[in-house]
Amino acid sequence: MIVERRLSAHLDWPLLAAVVALALIGLATIYSVTWNFRLDQPGQQFWTQLYALPIGLAALVVALAIDYRTLAQRSLIFYALLVAGLIYVAVNGDTRMGAQRWMTIWKFSFQPSEFGRIVIALVLAMTYGEGRRGARTLGDLAIGGVLLGVPLLLIQQQPDLGTAVTLIPVYLGVVFVAGIRLKWLVIVSLAAVLLSPLAWFFVMEDYQKERVSSFLDPSKDPRGAGHQQIQAKVTVGSGGFLGKGFQNSSQGRYGFLPVAHNDFVYSVLAEEHGFIGVLVTLGLYLFVLWRSLDAARLSNDRAGTFLVVGIISGFTFQVLYNITMSAGFAPVKGLTLPLMSYGGSSLVSTLAGFGLILGVRMRRFTN
Amino acid sequence: MLFPGAAEDRRDLRTRIGALRVMAVVCFGVLAVAFWILQVIQHAKYESWADRNALRTISLRAPRGVLFDRHGRVLVDNRDSFTIVFSREGAADLDDAIRRLAEAIGWPEARVREPIQRAKGAPAFRPITIVEHATLQQVVAVKARQLELPGVEVLQVPARTYPEAGLAAHVFGYVGEIREDQIRRAEFPALEAGAMVGQTGVERAYNEALMGEDGRRYVVVNSVGREIEKLSQDDPIEGQRLQLTIDYDMQKALEDGFRAAGFNGAAAFLDPNTGEILAMTSLPAYDPNVFSGGIDRTVWASLTTDSLNPLTNRLVQGRYAPGSTFKIVTAIAALGEGLVTPDFKVNCTGGGTFYGRFFQCNRSHGVVDLRHAIEVSCNTFFYTLGEKLKIDTIHEYAKKLGLVGKTGIDLPGEQDSFVGSTAWKLREHKEQWYPGETISVSIGQGAVSVTPIALATMISTVANGGTLVTPHLVRAIDADGQGWKPVARPAPRAKVSLSLPDLQAVRDGLWMVVNGAGTGGKARIEGRDVAGKTGTAQVVSLTGARAAAAKMDVRHHGFFVFFAPRDNPRIAGIVFAEHAEHGSSAAPIAKYVMETFFAKQDGQPLPPLPPWMKAVVTSPVPAPGTPNPEPRTREPRNPATPEPRNPRR
Repeated sequence: MIVERRLSAHLDWPLLAAVVALALIGLATIYSVTWNFRLDQPGQQFWTQLYALPIGLAALVVALAIDYRTLAQRSLIFYALLVAGLIYVAVNGDTRMGAQRWMTIWKFSFQPSEFGRIVIALVLAMTYGEGRRGARTLGDLAIGGVLLGVPLLLIQQQPDLGTAVTLIPVYLGVVFVAGIRLKWLVIVSLAAVLLSPLAWFFVMEDYQKERVSSFLDPSKDPRGAGHQQIQAKVTVGSGGFLGKGFQNSSQGRYGFLPVAHNDFVYSVLAEEHGFIGVLVTLGLYLFVLWRSLDAARLSNDRAGTFLVVGIISGFTFQVLYNITMSAGFAPVKGLTLPLMSYGGSSLVSTLAGFGLILGVRMRRFTN
Repeated sequence: MLFPGAAEDRRDLRTRIGALRVMAVVCFGVLAVAFWILQVIQHAKYESWADRNALRTISLRAPRGVLFDRHGRVLVDNRDSFTIVFSREGAADLDDAIRRLAEAIGWPEARVREPIQRAKGAPAFRPITIVEHATLQQVVAVKARQLELPGVEVLQVPARTYPEAGLAAHVFGYVGEIREDQIRRAEFPALEAGAMVGQTGVERAYNEALMGEDGRRYVVVNSVGREIEKLSQDDPIEGQRLQLTIDYDMQKALEDGFRAAGFNGAAAFLDPNTGEILAMTSLPAYDPNVFSGGIDRTVWASLTTDSLNPLTNRLVQGRYAPGSTFKIVTAIAALGEGLVTPDFKVNCTGGGTFYGRFFQCNRSHGVVDLRHAIEVSCNTFFYTLGEKLKIDTIHEYAKKLGLVGKTGIDLPGEQDSFVGSTAWKLREHKEQWYPGETISVSIGQGAVSVTPIALATMISTVANGGTLVTPHLVRAIDADGQGWKPVARPAPRAKVSLSLPDLQAVRDGLWMVVNGAGTGGKARIEGRDVAGKTGTAQVVSLTGARAAAAKMDVRHHGFFVFFAPRDNPRIAGIVFAEHAEHGSSAAPIAKYVMETFFAKQDGQPLPPLPPWMKAVVTSPVPAPGTPNPEPRTREPRNPATPEPRNPRR
């Protein structure tokens, strides 16, 4: 369990630095946007996020210290815990903002669903990493599909369609790298596209439909669901090339952009730091992705590769979607920006995920 | 490596990871381009949207300039008042917003809707005044429900306060929201709806100086319109301070005296050498505080329909036949033209026949010279002078004495005074002037119609030796808090050349009116040598029966013009008492005010109330219950106190 001294030489410090930098940028943006003008101090969310950061770094170190192969071998246990947690939340969870997705363990409330991506990545890495077959047949795909489907449905009914959807790229990323035939990939993608109308009628709640329809025509309801989208565009666009400066966001700080510390944190970043800030953060995210895929490429075994790809696929999907949404180019979903958005569980689980990725690379020469 | 085909497998894996990278780079590249479009290409558009979102400009009304009396006593000041405004931009559902606001301030919805409807054409972000001078209750209600009332704000604005009810109301005038028909007038440059402007009196005449410059506060508001942060503020600049020529104690004495005497009317007390007005009034008056407190519809209606016309400033807007006070003009004209000397004598047998018609005198005065003719107000004597004079000569002298046209007083709405002439008769009536008419004019009847302020300038001219001064109300202006800068005194408008003996004869006659056997005895002050002349203006020349049928007050108006001391006049003026039957009734009022003037001049304590005032001085405005005063001569056709088109409430 102890990280051997020689292993630290193989730690990907640049990746770790980029990840911590993004978390700090997110923290600063939350500091700015949650500002309480009456008390003249940052809001409660800032402090929560500030405490979550060391906890997340501790989780990262723990995830790094434990050999991912050990974890992968026990992934079914984690999987069972995840499913149990999700069922518990469904039955007995805390309800906030109309969704039942929180559970409380000794003062800390967290969302089991936030850990779904890691657990799915682990269990898929275990499933496809053993032997040399990979995921080439329909049967292989189906096994992974079932493993994906159970937590996905549980999370979706919380309802938390956003988080549920982020599990899908974990699966798609792993099966793609695991060698799925492109024919099947096309078929799966086509099926997803063809099934989406069914989702419209049978899965999506009214408010979700409203978000989609107002995305297609924001001006139809400028005070309602389309309002957020218009305000997101105004927020980003008013930032300009250089931005308005730290703590100078008017859109985010004065309440024109809803949940600016959470779903729309990137809009505020774009407003305060402009196109320059956007380029820097997009570059950091791309760098994180690039180095992580290096880890996948360099991994000692297929399980490590699949684990990294699974984690980074879910991460990247969420980053891309959130940033697209924060510029008003995608329907508003309760989908946070990993590393930057407010949310303790999300930050801790994301950092833990990077612990695993760093661990894969660090152990590429060990057996 | 551990199994066959591992190398191939690994190559495939690398290819697929490479493919993922390419996809990621493409996605991030597309995002970067999208942000470029929003933040650089479309930046200007979104920036203006964001500014509109969060920035508000709040107008801060400048306090109007404080008005002081000539000794530095504050007469008109400002107090804080609350205004509730509403901007349509803040409300998603206008009807709902109106309903909520009406509920909060306890008004019917229609009353809230009316000003919003009126401002339909204005930009949506401009605040519309809903409640001026809101009660504390309304302010608290709005503040407490701020979250439910988007777009509603409470502003603190300075409002005018005037001295105790109605004092010098016609000097100050009143302020009110600018009317729609005024906005485009040159008098009120660059003002927007909602601005408070002087509507009459000094407030109107000096409006531009008094208004100051409104300030602006730039604030950031959140999405429900609550003010979050003040960005910057241009402080309002207080209006310029005016030092009036009014003396508070004399003003008080004048109004107390008038009310105690129980008359309506008008009066002015001037420094005859400068034209400075020390005290002036017009009664009945109104309380200007009522206007700055957001005038009530019923109060407004009662003021405008009151048959006594409390909004009319009788001093400058009322025109009356001057009666016997005009004999001063006739005397000066005859002396000035060299037609008579002060020793010219006439034998009065109770009247005389001129141009074939008998003109009556009030009694048989026997042989009188000019001094005695003035003293006893002998009509026959002045008829005789009138016979020697041409009407155009009288007109000429009247003009030099200030009785033709406007005096130029710094108050709005002054009416022209009028003395007939041949040219006028031809122009207006296409007729010859009949010499007989000159006989009437010579005693102040017939084609003579003057304002009380014009008579005040006439007597001032006699007092100061022939210089026609311009009556005025402002002595000095303090534009920037740096101290008083005297206002340039208006240049003399005319000069009557009269030899000293002639002038002295007229003054002697006027002195005898008060100190001899004349009608002005009630104005006599020991040691002050008050000189004066009474006059009586007939209200109707119609038959009494018709007047009675119309239930008009047919009692005559009384005038008293005066100056003192005779040989070095320091004060001059007029008291005009409506329906006082005779000018002598006006004299005691003039006496009490002059006593106050001399007491102040000599640094003595203010005079005690005379016995006739004691009983009634605390009583409010008398209510004579008399219908419309209908002077025989022309009343101002259109009183210059216009009716606001939209009286508030």
